[in-house]
Amino acid sequence: MWYSGLKIKTFRTGGVHPHEYKGLTEECSIINFPVPQKVIIPLSQHIGKTAKALVKKGDMVSEYQLIGQKDGKISANVHSSIPGKVVDVVMACILNYQVLSVVIQLEGEFKTGNLKKDEWEPLKKEEILKRIESAGIVGMGGAGFPTDFKLSPPPDKKIDTLLVNGVECEPYLTSDYRLMMEKTDEIVEGIKIVKKVLGVRTVFLGIELNKKKAIKKFKDRLTSESNIHVVPLKVKYPQGGEKQLIKAILKRQVPSGGLPFDVGVIVSNIATVYAVREAVLFQKPLTERVVTVAGTIVEKCGNYKIRVGTTVSEVIKEVGIHGPIGKVIMGGPMMGINVSTVEAPVMKGTSGILFFSEKEARSIDYSFYKPCIHCSKCLEACPVNLNPSMLSILGEMEKWEDMKGYHLQDCIECGCCSFVCPSRRPIVGWVKAGKALSA
Amino acid sequence: MYRLSVSPHIHSKASVSRIMWTFIVALMPAMAASIWFFGPRALYLEIISVATAVITELLTGLLLKKRITLSDGSAVITGLLVAFNMPVSVPYYVPIVGSFFGIAIVKQLFGGLGYNIFNPALAARVFVMFAWLPEMTTWNAPLTTSGFSKLAGFNFSIDTITTATPLAIAKMKGMAGLLTEFGSKMGMYKDLFLGKCPGCIGETSALALLLGAGLLLLTKIIRWPIPLSYLATVVLICLLSGNDPIFHLLSGGLILGAFFMATDYVTSPMTPKGMILFGVGCGLVTMVLRLKGGLPEGVSFSILFMNALAPLIDRYFKNPVLGVKT
Amino acid sequence: MKIQELSKGLFKENPILVLMLGLCPTLAVSTKAIYGIGMGAAVIFVLTCSNVIISLIKDFIPDKIRIPSYIVVIATFVTIVDYVMKAYTPELHKSLGIFIPLIVVNCIILGRAEAFAAKKNVLDSFFDGIGMGLGFTLALTLIAVIREILGAGTITLKLLGYGWIVEIPHLNPMIVMILPPGAFITIGLILGFSNILKKR
Ligand code: SF4
Ligand code: SF4
Repeated sequence: MWYSGLKIKTFRTGGVHPHEYKGLTEECSIINFPVPQKVIIPLSQHIGKTAKALVKKGDMVSEYQLIGQKDGKISANVHSSIPGKVVDVVMACILNYQVLSVVIQLEGEFKTGNLKKDEWEPLKKEEILKRIESAGIVGMGGAGFPTDFKLSPPPDKKIDTLLVNGVECEPYLTSDYRLMMEKTDEIVEGIKIVKKVLGVRTVFLGIELNKKKAIKKFKDRLTSESNIHVVPLKVKYPQGGEKQLIKAILKRQVPSGGLPFDVGVIVSNIATVYAVREAVLFQKPLTERVVTVAGTIVEKCGNYKIRVGTTVSEVIKEVGIHGPIGKVIMGGPMMGINVSTVEAPVMKGTSGILFFSEKEARSIDYSFYKPCIHCSKCLEACPVNLNPSMLSILGEMEKWEDMKGYHLQDCIECGCCSFVCPSRRPIVGWVKAGKALSA
Repeated sequence: MYRLSVSPHIHSKASVSRIMWTFIVALMPAMAASIWFFGPRALYLEIISVATAVITELLTGLLLKKRITLSDGSAVITGLLVAFNMPVSVPYYVPIVGSFFGIAIVKQLFGGLGYNIFNPALAARVFVMFAWLPEMTTWNAPLTTSGFSKLAGFNFSIDTITTATPLAIAKMKGMAGLLTEFGSKMGMYKDLFLGKCPGCIGETSALALLLGAGLLLLTKIIRWPIPLSYLATVVLICLLSGNDPIFHLLSGGLILGAFFMATDYVTSPMTPKGMILFGVGCGLVTMVLRLKGGLPEGVSFSILFMNALAPLIDRYFKNPVLGVKT
Repeated sequence: MKIQELSKGLFKENPILVLMLGLCPTLAVSTKAIYGIGMGAAVIFVLTCSNVIISLIKDFIPDKIRIPSYIVVIATFVTIVDYVMKAYTPELHKSLGIFIPLIVVNCIILGRAEAFAAKKNVLDSFFDGIGMGLGFTLALTLIAVIREILGAGTITLKLLGYGWIVEIPHLNPMIVMILPPGAFITIGLILGFSNILKKR
């Protein structure tokens, strides 16, 4: 076969095979989303402390202006994505919890024309890190770990490998795939930048086998690079989970409670690598990202480059929805969070916005879950080898403390267990509640 | 406002009713075999037993103010299995009491589907067995012609002679007795495999049961570890104790028990290791009862015994969580 | 007030159904109605007498040795019952067997002595003993009747040639009900029902 010579890898424990639905948007090239009239920019789009607000009501801001200052080591800068007037700095409901956010009304013009392009080779490691930091880059795969922090692991951890995560195992989502297809060279450049920062020799780029074109493209492009290897991966959810990816490619096991750097690895997502390149070459802050907008009721499914802060209502206006909306999901269908209002904004970690019809939404109604019949399907599906059945039973009885004995903290909330459960038990919901309430 | 729920927002097609109805389909070959070998009365027993189970489930559900779970078909399974575990000549009240006991007391009073400690069908069988030992141990020889031909005539009488089950013969007279009964060894294996021997109506035909078990294994509704370790233990003990392993595999309720009852989700362990231990335990107890016990058969008791241990096994045989040092 | 001490044992604080005391004789001897009554009578006698005596002497017994002293008192009455039964109702005595001497350590009697007689006056203790004993007898007989009907198809109320044995027609008895599992099932169900009634 054309990818002969490449060994197809995967993780061994658990995993599921949801229907992919990628055909909806797979061939849609990235299009620029129109400038929104209003943006709501949360000051915490990352793990760690909320950024300090630098603007107040009535201020005028320009595009790329810093509006939230990084607060402490684990935190990230936040920039304005449009020029305009700050109409409010309030607690807004983002992904169903309250976050301090800056609301900006579009006003004035875009002054920043073409950004000046630097060369990255002469730049020192510290300088590169500083640029990443000031651009406010965070992991764009969902978790939102501040990238500058991630790329400067503690000195006692020896990092030998960089894994670039091009897996995109969530159904529906194709934004990373489109980036890989359209920005191949840029991504390779980004990988080299990150590689330089980390000082590692080997890089693996993991791509799932359902993206054969991307694998081929990178393989052809990387023939001259001896240290960057493309690794085709079997299609299996959650192949893109950090720990699963490390296990699949390197056969290393991240210890419970540990991070990838504990086994000498840093994992970075495709979109993040791309953003890093832009930050380093153009000193461009992270204010927009590629988002897959899809769903059976969406008229213009596609991959849109959307400004951070754009609300769902603007997205609905642009793509057109026919029929009543049942559910709006930010992210993929397996791990994404569904929002209750159209005022929810696109954030740095939003890789997709999915619209489900009323019927699709109703087909998964966790309020009618049944008792656990101990079928052990969830044990087979769990990629961490937990006992989700027991977690769900304890969760049902609200015994949050007891859940810890069943390794609650090791759950990656991937949703495989709920996905296969014949009793349709909201196991992930109980796990999340347990994590919040047992701490 | 849109619908709010936790992730994941998509689901595989799996559902409890799908599992249970597949299970029922898998029991159909054995049901057909029961009618073939034991005549229309077998069908009658099965219908009565299933009807009782379903009605009991409905009534107890209403009485205990539970959600009615009739559509998931678990009551039908229990009813069928209760009937499968009876000789063809039992009076009709036996399956009625059995199904009632299984559903009302063993299942519903313990909390309904998912909470019962013991397999309802097996507990019911053991209950009626001790309640009416003579009736439950009167065996009829299978019909010489197909029982289906009698279906049209509504002939529910039992007109064959009573005899002893192969296991009972083996217990009383040893291998020699079996050979006089069946003629040759190969003939015995063939009859046992097809189901042409006295016994409970649903357990005699290994062929029909294996067909259903194949379906369950293919659809991944049951998993290999329990039946495999169960049967392997039986074979091993037979070999060690100088008994005929093929005879012990094919006779009695072993196939029915290993594939359809020991694998019951609710009452068996959940981890692969636990399942193997469970199967080995079942095999051990079965063979000890068969070879040393007072009754010729021990499958039901062994599975019930291990049912009681299943929660304990689950507690001590957990899956190793990835990344956690033990 | 005295009537309360008497009646509470019948239902509200029934030793078997509510306090769950004295379950082992209950499980073992409740196979025939008459066994229930006989066992009950023995317990009523021992319980009442020991309650009265213990209530009388409670002020003289040093705290540390009170349990042994109670046992001595109880054992005295049990011995009396044992011999009386042996003399006058030998068949009943034979069926109840070891469970008559075992009344000594029956938790109903020790429990009432410790929890009631050692704190209350003589009259209250007397009525408490009778009430509790009656409650025990009632529950035991109820269980025994159910088990006997289902398990043997009869109700035996015959002692020393007096009384009847009622036979239930057209019933194929379920032997399992007079075996130990039957006792557990019956007691479990009755406990469940009495709990439902209590919640009302
Ligand atoms: S959500 Fe947690 S418990 Fe469920 S399969 Fe994923 S890791 Fe396992
Ligand atoms: S998949 Fe659902 S029903 Fe099956 S064991 Fe897990 S939680 Fe229980």
